[in-house]
Amino acid sequence: MSTPIIEVSKLGKDFRAGHALVHALSDVSFAVTEGQFVTLVGPSGCGKSTLLQILAGLIGPTRGEVRIDGKRISAPIPEKISMVFQDPTLLPWKTALANVEFPLDLRGVARPTRRERCSALLELVGLREFAEHYPHELSGGMRQRVAIARGLAQDPRLILMDEPFAALDEQTRTRMGHDLLDIWEKTRKTVFFITHSLTEAIYLSDVVMVMSPRPGRILETIAIDFPRPRELDVIGSEAFGRVRNRIWHLIAEAEA
Amino acid sequence: MGAALAGYLTFAVVLFGGWELVGRLRLVDPDLLPPLSEVSALLWRFLQDPRFIADLGVTASEVAVAFAIAAPLAISTGFLLGERLHLAEAFNPVVHFILAIPQSIFLPVFILAFGIGFLEKVLFGITHAYFVIVVNSFAAVRSIPPPLVSAARVFGATRTQIYTRIYLPAMLPLILTGLRLGMIFCIIGVLLAEMYASRRGIGRLIFTWGESYQVPELLAGILLISVLTVAVNETMRLAELRVSRFYTRTAAA
Repeated sequence: MSTPIIEVSKLGKDFRAGHALVHALSDVSFAVTEGQFVTLVGPSGCGKSTLLQILAGLIGPTRGEVRIDGKRISAPIPEKISMVFQDPTLLPWKTALANVEFPLDLRGVARPTRRERCSALLELVGLREFAEHYPHELSGGMRQRVAIARGLAQDPRLILMDEPFAALDEQTRTRMGHDLLDIWEKTRKTVFFITHSLTEAIYLSDVVMVMSPRPGRILETIAIDFPRPRELDVIGSEAFGRVRNRIWHLIAEAEA
Repeated sequence: MGAALAGYLTFAVVLFGGWELVGRLRLVDPDLLPPLSEVSALLWRFLQDPRFIADLGVTASEVAVAFAIAAPLAISTGFLLGERLHLAEAFNPVVHFILAIPQSIFLPVFILAFGIGFLEKVLFGITHAYFVIVVNSFAAVRSIPPPLVSAARVFGATRTQIYTRIYLPAMLPLILTGLRLGMIFCIIGVLLAEMYASRRGIGRLIFTWGESYQVPELLAGILLISVLTVAVNETMRLAELRVSRFYTRTAAA
């Protein structure tokens, strides 16, 4: 077996909030194999987002370490890791296409090259006709699609997604999940996804990791083996319900 | 935009038409309110008078120099305060105290310290413009959504790129608002200083005409300053609207 793309060992993170020391993460260890869709679920405030920021190289851990592709991470690695945020974080003064191009623009990729590549990505997320629209002219779902296309722009090996669909209405959210799987099937990037929706987690993932309330640690890692490509109907199946209940009990007992 | 333009035109027609009519029909003592045609004819003559143009030039250069010094100074102060919040905690109350005090009451102090020449006018203009620009550029820095910066970092932006590609465009609308208000305050400061004590400048002329009951001259001066300041303000507001057109819904959401 090859080196896992993400290796987290004995990771801990403390925050100072005034005089109090908050333990956000404690003793988190796991590994993610390249090409997998892995989701981390857990109650609000359990340190999921903190973990993601450490994986992105935005903040450093207090204890333990993170290795990406075998190398210890200490700063963002734009050529390997990209991220899709909860708010789409698009630049309001740039068009959809220019936003997708932004990561390549930062690295000085020539305009014709990045234009061609990013137009194809906009097409992949179904927004080809909206290339020249500004973010405020797009719906919440469309903005998040642009953010996903931007996340793919540098052809990263790992995409971190921080509750990307949390702000969307239920219908759009379900649709976005379905389309994300479609994109994932086509690109086969490793995805590390965070959500507090159990349904979303199970529907999307190969592996669901369940996190405890603060200080966050991994309670259990559950392999999800519904066949792919998945259809939305799988959500209503009995087997799906059993997995969902199991995770729900894990979290409920940890909170009690 | 069309509705606004129609609004401006209606306002101008009613104001200037009403003024002309009131003067012609002698509804008000013509010594107090001569008709617009008479005042504008006088203004036209003034604009061809080199001495008048020289006075206008003095005022304009005082405003320009004051603004050119105040603006970069104030923008960098606001930026520094926005980036270093512990400085802001110490300095912001001071800024707000100073903004609360009518600065005109310090004019006699300025005259005692700096005389009644060019320097005093410029300094008085600077202090008028400075604080309002500081407050706005501070707000501009604080208005940058932190996730925008995180995203740029994940995509590999260097520190310089974060400043030039994220900070600058994100701050621009509020900076321009600050500059526009700063310009208005700057003109107020300079004119006030000229009217209070000066040997030159359009403010001095207006004050003297008022003192000596030269109503048509006085109104011509007022008309000119009004038209000029409205023009400056509207030009800057157009620039502001241009750069903030992306924020019509939610900024960065």
